[in-house]
Amino acid sequence: MNQWLLILAMLTPLASALGVAVLPAARAKTVAMYGTLVALVFVLYAGFGVFSWEQSGYMQLGMDEPIRWIPSLGLEFQVGVDGISMMLVMLTALLGPICVISSFTAIKDREKTYYAWLLVLQAAMTGVFCARDLILFYICFEFTLVPMFILISVWGSTNRKKAAIKFFLYTFTGSVIALAGLVYVAWFNVHRPGIEGHVNWTFNIQTLAFASSKWMSLNQQTWVMFALLAGFAVKVPLFPVHTWLPLAHTEAPTAGSVILAGVLLKLGTYALIRFVLPFVPAAVVAYAPLIGALCIVGIIYGGLICWVQTDVKKLVAYSSVAHLGFCVLGMFALNHAGIEGSVLYMINHGLSTGALFLLIGMIYERYHTRSMKELGGLAAKMPVWATFMVFFTMASVGLPGLNGFVSEFLCVMGTYQASTAWGSGVWHTLVPQVGTTPGELGPWYAIIAGTGMIIAAMYLLYMLGKVVWGPLRLPAGHDHHGGHDAKDDHGPALPTDLSMREIGVLVPLAVLCVALGVYPKPLLEALKAPTDSLVQAANAGREKIGVEATPGERAAKGEKGAGSAQLPGSERPAGTTHLELLTPDMISPASGRPGEVTP
Amino acid sequence: MLTAIGTMVTAAEPEGGGSHWTLTMIVVLPLVSFVLCGLCAAFKVKSKLPAWITVASLAAAFVFTLMAFMNAGPMIAAAGAEHGAEHAAASAEHAGHLTVHVFDWLNFDWGGGKSSSGRFDADFGFYIDGLTLLWMLFVTGLGTLIALYASEYMAHDVGLGYCRFFAAFSLFVLSMSCLVMASNLLMLFFGWEGVGLCSYLLIGYFYKKPAAVAAAKKAFIVNRIGDLGLLMGILGVYAAFGTVQYDKVFEFIHKGVDAGGHPLTTSSWIPVILPLLLTAGAFGKSAQLFFYVWLPDAMEGPTPVSALIHAATMVTAGVFLIARMMPLYTIDPAHTILTFVAWGGTITAFWAATIGMAHFDIKRVMGYSTASQLGYMFAGLGVMNSAGGAAHVFSHAFFKATLFLACGAVMHGFAGQLDLRKLSGVRKLPGWKIVAAAMFFGALNLSGVTFTAGFWSKDLILASSFEQSPAIGWILLITAGLTAYYTFRAYFRVFEGPVYFEPGDEVHGHDEHEDHAGHGHDGHGEESHAHDGHAQGHGHGGEFHPHAPGWAINTVLATLVVGCFAIIPLVGFAEHGAWVGKMVGASSAAMHGGEEGHGTFLGMNPHSVMYYVSSVVGLLGIAAAWWLHLAGRTSAAHANADKLEPALGPIVTWARHKWYVDEFYDAVIRIPLKFLSNIFYLLDQYLVDGLVNLTGFVPKGLGRLIRPSQSGELHGYALGMAGGLAVLILIVLMVAR
Repeated sequence: MNQWLLILAMLTPLASALGVAVLPAARAKTVAMYGTLVALVFVLYAGFGVFSWEQSGYMQLGMDEPIRWIPSLGLEFQVGVDGISMMLVMLTALLGPICVISSFTAIKDREKTYYAWLLVLQAAMTGVFCARDLILFYICFEFTLVPMFILISVWGSTNRKKAAIKFFLYTFTGSVIALAGLVYVAWFNVHRPGIEGHVNWTFNIQTLAFASSKWMSLNQQTWVMFALLAGFAVKVPLFPVHTWLPLAHTEAPTAGSVILAGVLLKLGTYALIRFVLPFVPAAVVAYAPLIGALCIVGIIYGGLICWVQTDVKKLVAYSSVAHLGFCVLGMFALNHAGIEGSVLYMINHGLSTGALFLLIGMIYERYHTRSMKELGGLAAKMPVWATFMVFFTMASVGLPGLNGFVSEFLCVMGTYQASTAWGSGVWHTLVPQVGTTPGELGPWYAIIAGTGMIIAAMYLLYMLGKVVWGPLRLPAGHDHHGGHDAKDDHGPALPTDLSMREIGVLVPLAVLCVALGVYPKPLLEALKAPTDSLVQAANAGREKIGVEATPGERAAKGEKGAGSAQLPGSERPAGTTHLELLTPDMISPASGRPGEVTP
Repeated sequence: MLTAIGTMVTAAEPEGGGSHWTLTMIVVLPLVSFVLCGLCAAFKVKSKLPAWITVASLAAAFVFTLMAFMNAGPMIAAAGAEHGAEHAAASAEHAGHLTVHVFDWLNFDWGGGKSSSGRFDADFGFYIDGLTLLWMLFVTGLGTLIALYASEYMAHDVGLGYCRFFAAFSLFVLSMSCLVMASNLLMLFFGWEGVGLCSYLLIGYFYKKPAAVAAAKKAFIVNRIGDLGLLMGILGVYAAFGTVQYDKVFEFIHKGVDAGGHPLTTSSWIPVILPLLLTAGAFGKSAQLFFYVWLPDAMEGPTPVSALIHAATMVTAGVFLIARMMPLYTIDPAHTILTFVAWGGTITAFWAATIGMAHFDIKRVMGYSTASQLGYMFAGLGVMNSAGGAAHVFSHAFFKATLFLACGAVMHGFAGQLDLRKLSGVRKLPGWKIVAAAMFFGALNLSGVTFTAGFWSKDLILASSFEQSPAIGWILLITAGLTAYYTFRAYFRVFEGPVYFEPGDEVHGHDEHEDHAGHGHDGHGEESHAHDGHAQGHGHGGEFHPHAPGWAINTVLATLVVGCFAIIPLVGFAEHGAWVGKMVGASSAAMHGGEEGHGTFLGMNPHSVMYYVSSVVGLLGIAAAWWLHLAGRTSAAHANADKLEPALGPIVTWARHKWYVDEFYDAVIRIPLKFLSNIFYLLDQYLVDGLVNLTGFVPKGLGRLIRPSQSGELHGYALGMAGGLAVLILIVLMVAR
């Protein structure tokens, strides 16, 4: 039963989509809501009742036996999660009902189609995070594009057609190149040096990670890395390939923006952490400064662009470019703090930015504008809305005590720790010695990225200053006395301030923001095992190209020769090596199958 | 995950019993108050209930702080005795302290297996020593008094922002307690940013006023710049010592080695860069040097907020940080960064005082005065007299709160009037005696008149300054004269002289009414009722009657005046700051004795002559204020000072315009940055995205070439797919060759 929970989490939204399609339009909302809620229950049960977070090895919770799909090609249907993916599955499952419920009044035409596609999207996203097989991953990954394309192009705002096409083409083109890289890895697995005789094809992610990281040369890894980045960096999006995002975010309907920011961008970061880091660690180590530099550019450039926006939704959209810069920066610090921070960043960004999009959607529903020139001082008119807005903005700013700080701090801390090069680091940062001298991030990266925290305060408080504070300004046609502004539409009237339904959508997110900010420990513990394997992979990559293992971490834990001060908790078994990428305990017996060459 | 939450609950239980739960209660009570005030707001409570909740909780927190102080008494006495006994060798290591772990916040460890292992611990926990208790006593004590004051001051907002005000007020005390009681640097940062948030919310309390919104934003952003330095300093401390827990860091510093076992003094960055980064944070929060610009603008907030946050407590957090991390600052035998701190404080003290002398807004005068006095405190720390710095924090908290609250009472009574050219002789009006007395005694303290608390604490700093660096001493001494001048200038103009008053425009204290009149009401009848009932008395056209403060304001002012006298024995009559000195001696801020400098005051021992010198200087300042602003003054607007002004040329105008520093920052930082941002946005739209669009045309064009009959957009991605496959084949061929 247990291993079917994940499959149920995928099938329930699909089944509800079918239900929505079959049943009359009046029932669409209800069916969609219950479908997503049931899926949430399954996921919560899987997460809290079944899954053992403490020892979550590689995609450990899942099916014992894969369903053979096309055995000759090694295609299997196999799902499983580890700490990283389980958290993202939970985020997806949580945002599901929130998106459905928040759309009740916003979507007034073609409700059946809308909810059906929303549910299909939910299933596909869950599939991405659960896939243990490359092909299943890729199918789900690409399939998310179709529902989102339809959501944007049908229910988006004025410029929706252009946004949808751009979103589709841009991310699709990228991921086709990524597919090339992934297929090459699978091909390499059966043709790599040292293979005697015939080996079956396999697309098992774990097997491929083992093979490619161990036997691929740096040159091959570099090619694969850039192929994968072509797909995944667009999705994240990293700096130069981000331009689809502001457009798509701005034009998408509210629920679309929430899913886009909350989950779809995380497909990119998840793929980076699931494929790029373990598959090609040597290339990752070699090019970390380049990626780090791109992240930093994204953080500052994206943040400054936010500062001159007049469209509040576009402002939040561009803020994702800056925020995910932190997320990827932490990831490419390639140490525990950075990677754990990065994963938490995915969750926290989903919560806080998702909530900001919901809040902006609530305003759009009432006033049909997102322009900060027309709207302002809403605290006077909508105190409850304003309270939530200030709250989630502060979560986004990274105020300690709320969730955003924990992840941002860990990302910056990981970056800082990645090396102790203070003096030489300056030059290293300004001109990343790409490819030639394998580099590490370091304090200078952290400091420059840290200015992003100031810029975040600048643009987010600018937004608050315009929209929430100041004298009340409403668009023409909404006079100051109009209490029920939505009356001109044929839907049910919306109250001046938030309705109970809207509050109910925001409260779970707010509670999580506080909980994860005050007590992130369970999540940090849960990420320990998967992070550890990623750091081992990175260390193996370092050895491959002959770099010392993170000097920063070594200094931080106080491990040095005799006479060093001994602190509680700072001892460490001596003489550990990083030769092995995947330890035997990480390859569970369940995953052994033909085609795998055990070391 | 659930089990982990379970362990959290058990971990929150007091460990080892004893007094620990009292410490936890100090933090829990403001939290409870915050939650209850929030609930009041949610249920639209239209009474003074939130005020009473806040006053009661903070009073209880104060009682718990007192209990903690009593419990810690033996510890402090022991540490103090030790400090006294081996005066030369006493250091933070010997100071008694208590570390309490409440629950794990950002604690995690890694590795232990194949990868490198390590851990990062940032508990939610308390580090209790003399410094902590000193700060907590005045934070909770003054917090209670000011909350009581605010219950009356904010009364016109009952049912409007009243709950919001007290929720933020409670949250502030909570954050400040976390900041002060933190057991590690990261929890300090938690409180640090928390007080920043509350400051933001409360400066912008009158959110319909664009000036208030701008001031709030400015305060938060300027603080964040300093906070970046602090955060990097914290990471640097972690990199150096492998921990951010105070006790472990101090242990390392005491041993003189970093986590790697290397001697600290040979490090190129630990003794200098780390304290410098922390100083950036401290200067940001305490409005020093380049960062002072936010503090005067912060006076847009309600006056109780200015008194508590922007005078007595939050702005002293920077002093606290440096005092707390004093062992780190004293690693460097040359005291480079401490000298920098001293000069930073000295320059700010002088600079801000010059602006305070010219300004006409009494609250701004007090705001600049706060920046200036904070400068004294930093100078005290910088010249190796942490006891003096802390003593000045302590006495300043009392007398500046008194001054602000007296100004607030005036503002409250005269419909937001703050211009000292439009008020005069207020003391002679019925019902204003207590306010005038509070202002007078507060002014005596601020001017450093002999035997007041402000006199004792300032003298400690002045004497040590002359000892360490006569240049600093002279500047601070001159500033003391200027301080006395601007303080009594405000007092003489507002409270003495002929009786005259003009009502303000209500913007500061009563702006809700004004805005409500302008914007109508969205169905909240009670708001308009409040408006109608209140606005009658304050109309611009009708006759204006100032309303004298009620019992709450008078009680608080009287208590504070008594407090200003009561603390004299705590800070005065002793060379090392009496009781406060003992508290500081029993903390991480304890200074190594026997390192007295060799500077003198005109060849005399500064410690013995400073009492007389500073008294004379203070009296000279008061005399100047009397001559220029009271003697022969017949109207509120004009005094003898007007005759002097032309002689000084443009200097007065420049000072009145704050030396154009805001304009300078605007021109040098904000406008170029905005310009750059716009450039970036254009680049993003036309270059970065333009290139993408260009590549988008290629398959489109190709598609037209190949299949001219086909239309629609989907061929684009069909081609994309084909292109992708081509790339795939290419790569496979290339690598497989």
